[in-house]
Amino acid sequence: MSSTIETLKEHTSGEYKYGFMTAVEEETTPPGLDEEVIRRISARKEEPEWLTEWRLAAYRRWRAMAEPDWQKVTYPPIDYQAISYFAAPKQKERPKSLDDIDPEIRRTYEKLGIPIREQEILAGVAVDYVFDSVSVATTFKNKLAELGIVFCSISEAVRDHPELVREYLGSVVPQGDNFFAALNSAVFTDGSFVYVPKGVRCPMELSTYFRINAAGTGQFERTLIIADEGSYVSYLEGCTAPMRDENQLHAAVVELIALDDAEIKYSTVQNWYPGDREGKGGIYNFVTKRGICRGRRSKISWTQVETGSAITWKYPSCILQGDDSVGEFYSVALTNNFQQADTGTKMIHIGKRTRSRIVAKGIAAGRSDSTYRGLVRILRGATGARNHTQCDSLLIGDRCGAHTVPYIEVRNRSAEVEHEATTSKISEDQLFYCRSRGFPEEDAVALIVNGFCREVMEELPMEFAVEARKLLGISLEGSVG
Amino acid sequence: MGAATRRIDPPPFYGELFARERTRLPGHGRAALDRVREEAFTRFLGLGLPTQKAEAWKYSPITRLANREMALAEPTVPGLEEVSAWFGGGPATRRLIFVDGHLQPEFSHVGGLPAGVRVMGLARAIETIPEAVAEALAGCDPERAFSQLNAALTRSGAWIELADGVALEEPLQLLFLHRGGDSAVMTHPRIVIRLGRGARLHLLETHAGSGSGHCFVNLVGQAVLGDGAELLCDRLQLGGSGLSLLARGFLEMGAGARLRATTVALGSGFLRNEIELRLAGREGEAILSGLYMPRGEEHVDTLVRIHHEAENCHSDQFYKGVVEDRARAAFAGKIIVHRGAQKTNAYQANNNLLLSDRAEVNSKPELEIYADDVKCSHGATCGDLDPEALFYLRARGLAREVASSLLVYAFANEVIERMADARLQALTRRAMLERVPGGAALEAEGLL
Amino acid sequence: MKNMLRIEELRVTVEGKEILKGVTLEVGAGEVHAVMGPNGSGKSTLAYVLAGREGYEVTGGRVLFLGQDLLAMEPEERAAAGLFLAMQYPVEIPGVSNMYFLRQAMNAVRKARGEPEIAAGAFMKMLREKARLVGIRDELLKRDVNTGFSGGEKKRNEILQLAMLEPKLAVLDETDSGLDIDALKAVAEAVNSLRGPDRAFLVITHYQRLLEHIEPDHVHVMVDGRIRRSGGKELALELERHGYEQFAAAAA
Repeated sequence: MSSTIETLKEHTSGEYKYGFMTAVEEETTPPGLDEEVIRRISARKEEPEWLTEWRLAAYRRWRAMAEPDWQKVTYPPIDYQAISYFAAPKQKERPKSLDDIDPEIRRTYEKLGIPIREQEILAGVAVDYVFDSVSVATTFKNKLAELGIVFCSISEAVRDHPELVREYLGSVVPQGDNFFAALNSAVFTDGSFVYVPKGVRCPMELSTYFRINAAGTGQFERTLIIADEGSYVSYLEGCTAPMRDENQLHAAVVELIALDDAEIKYSTVQNWYPGDREGKGGIYNFVTKRGICRGRRSKISWTQVETGSAITWKYPSCILQGDDSVGEFYSVALTNNFQQADTGTKMIHIGKRTRSRIVAKGIAAGRSDSTYRGLVRILRGATGARNHTQCDSLLIGDRCGAHTVPYIEVRNRSAEVEHEATTSKISEDQLFYCRSRGFPEEDAVALIVNGFCREVMEELPMEFAVEARKLLGISLEGSVG
Repeated sequence: MGAATRRIDPPPFYGELFARERTRLPGHGRAALDRVREEAFTRFLGLGLPTQKAEAWKYSPITRLANREMALAEPTVPGLEEVSAWFGGGPATRRLIFVDGHLQPEFSHVGGLPAGVRVMGLARAIETIPEAVAEALAGCDPERAFSQLNAALTRSGAWIELADGVALEEPLQLLFLHRGGDSAVMTHPRIVIRLGRGARLHLLETHAGSGSGHCFVNLVGQAVLGDGAELLCDRLQLGGSGLSLLARGFLEMGAGARLRATTVALGSGFLRNEIELRLAGREGEAILSGLYMPRGEEHVDTLVRIHHEAENCHSDQFYKGVVEDRARAAFAGKIIVHRGAQKTNAYQANNNLLLSDRAEVNSKPELEIYADDVKCSHGATCGDLDPEALFYLRARGLAREVASSLLVYAFANEVIERMADARLQALTRRAMLERVPGGAALEAEGLL
Repeated sequence: MKNMLRIEELRVTVEGKEILKGVTLEVGAGEVHAVMGPNGSGKSTLAYVLAGREGYEVTGGRVLFLGQDLLAMEPEERAAAGLFLAMQYPVEIPGVSNMYFLRQAMNAVRKARGEPEIAAGAFMKMLREKARLVGIRDELLKRDVNTGFSGGEKKRNEILQLAMLEPKLAVLDETDSGLDIDALKAVAEAVNSLRGPDRAFLVITHYQRLLEHIEPDHVHVMVDGRIRRSGGKELALELERHGYEQFAAAAA
């Protein structure tokens, strides 16, 4: 729990500890996007024809789409032709063993507190390391393979497991789902792929660590996780980026598929560079995450701790198709300075006796805006469906905003849907009580906020709490802004 | 998802109708008023008809209704009993009675008003205080297409003005009868209320309509409550399948002003209530309650927006719905706490009973908060009757059907209880009971 | 006798209304002082002002705590300096476990004093001991701070914090209110066991009954924002017999 206090302290003090840049030679495509660029990315990745065509189809749809404008965030227009869509550290070929990795990249992850090794502190976690547009390493692959678990970069999956990729890619988030998902479908470069076979309980946490390093680029990763019947997997995602004055676009797509009796637990600690105190720079985090509980009794659980990014636009969602399936969303969104977060979830109840639970905690400080936006939809056939939603917002200071925008749509008589929300500031009484027991004011605030978020923080897997502590506890010498 | 898809151009008949009718509208020839109508109509064309892509109309398919060719309703004369069935208040209650948007002087009675009180039909107001009317119409609700259409075409309604410190003890009733006709008609009533400092008014507003003829009512009410003023408002709406009632209230409240409004929207083919409320002075208080009970193919929706603009204000929204058959209900309530509106207390509850598998409930309780020292909360629920309560009643010997009826009645009655006028409350309760499955039996068995 | 707390002519207003109208009081190390008075006499205001709660405007006088200007200090600095207020209405802090809170509070105070953090084992041992002393069940230690506690449990929890934080001066603000006789005894016993030559107590109470169990060295009667009379423990008994009216009349 003390890590949460540290998290908050570091966060509210405005010091971003991962803002350094790695001096590594990168291959970057020139800025701009057209069919030629997409063909080049596809060719560079030696992709099969069907995927090139799939990308092009997405691109054509994207061109006809307008950027969404319903969310409660404002930003200057993005020039999509000014972004470079592919950046990768120069290397002849993907290193054969972990020992062959570029020492600069290796050092980067050391500094970030997640060294590329299969030992000690990370013994319980297998990590896929994504550096700008490519995956540079994946640990414990062989050990997982013994159980039939596939854990690799999506590029490798396209090559080694084309039938799985072809069946499931775009099956949850179709190419034309929304503007950013369409863009991602056209230009996605790397990301992680997980397949857990029938009846297998993945013995360790799987994790991807995303790092944006190059300037003038965007990151467009694609993650696909398939949990076959009766399997279980817990997946973790972390991310950081250097401090820059420019805004960089991160438009990822994550698709989860849970078959009968399968369970996927997906956790995120989002710590992209949030911009400086004046709101300059920072990542635009426009992400589409969606899971489908396709099987009976399947379960998908999203947990997110969102502290980074200049703008966050994401709604990790669950389509509860299988009877008796369960969707969960636990979220902490903390914004400070000029950050804007518009985040929440969608729970689409299709199957009978489907259940969902939403716990969202928003904390706004400085001049930031934090919005919870959520949809609970009970379709006609979802007999006996249940949803419970709790949204609480905490305001720190009188220049910020906290907003709650829930949509509840019910079309089945036997469904029960309950939504509760509160907004308040940190109680003066609580602050005084803590201070009179000896807590300095900042610690008292951290303590109270920590208590406010506990329900969500408890959902993070143990291994991740350790990783998160490492991530957040690290101090950096010579950070470059 | 561009702005273009959020509106459509109004069909040409609107322009033709305005061109045809403008010279017949009250006050025609008075330059100020003519200009206001002209500008409002131009604005209406520019704003266009909202589609369901427009957030405020997400659950409300209005374009289909507003797109049908309609004419302004012609006056007809009902029988007294048709009107008196909807009387609220007591023997001394003053009433303005409108039939298809036309004031019926023979049934109306607003005489003997105390000093400092002015109550009259809108047409009369246009005759006597044209500048004030023009000003009221011009300044109100510029971003909403239907409000602009109303300003352009209104020809009846009520002008109610109470001077500082004046109280009207007996309730004042505005009774609207929407009969419709063979061809589709529309009316655009306008209610203007001005309460001086410390003035007090109890208003009853009833809408009734039995016909199945298409009648599109585009009502706009605007009220300014001075510091310390008090407005009590009881509203009952019950129309036939042909009635589309769009009722918009736009209120501005001064320091220490108080509003208590209870709206019971039992049903109509299409019924939409909008309340936009500005708590502009310190320590204002607004308590809004509502009940909706659509059945059959009816659609009822409610949109509430409360702006907390000043410190120490209190607002409370309490809305309940019972939705049956293939009916659809929507509730969108929003609390906006503006920067600096510290010590705001705002609550919002929306509870729905969904009693059919073909029915639909949509709820969107929303908070938008820019001040930190506030206490705001909302809750929304949707479900069937509480099985435990049902079991309890059955264990006490009530048949299942009777027990369900009783629970539905009790659920709905909680809102009706909040009406201040006893006669209208009784009337409303009867009409509500008629909508509760097995409700008549409840009454017969003396369970109430 | 070492002087610990010295209140001189303290004047305090709350929302423009003068509540304390010149309070003078001295508390020496090892002493137990009781401040008694009717409702609204300013007793709780005195307690809150000593602990540094916001919303109280000091318009005159001063307070010295171990020679330092107490009123210039932040609440947490007062805690670190050794002042503890057991509150009449202890605050609930959802999501923060009681045990965690105590440990962090102890370490915050230790850190401010330049002492090392308490080891987990030592902390647990001490906590068990003190919890037994005040009669707090283990289960309450794991629950969130004061959340869902009964009135009596909250008061016991305050005394547990007092026992753990080992302040130099403890102010008990109506700790007896809302306690049944068993809880009252347990709380009093705990307080008595904490008495010592280096620790002082300021016991604020409306009734004499707490003082039957915690025997004061000095009793002060506060009425209408002033100390009207001071005396030994026999003064409490006199008040029990004759009430506060004699003082109220004098004040009016």
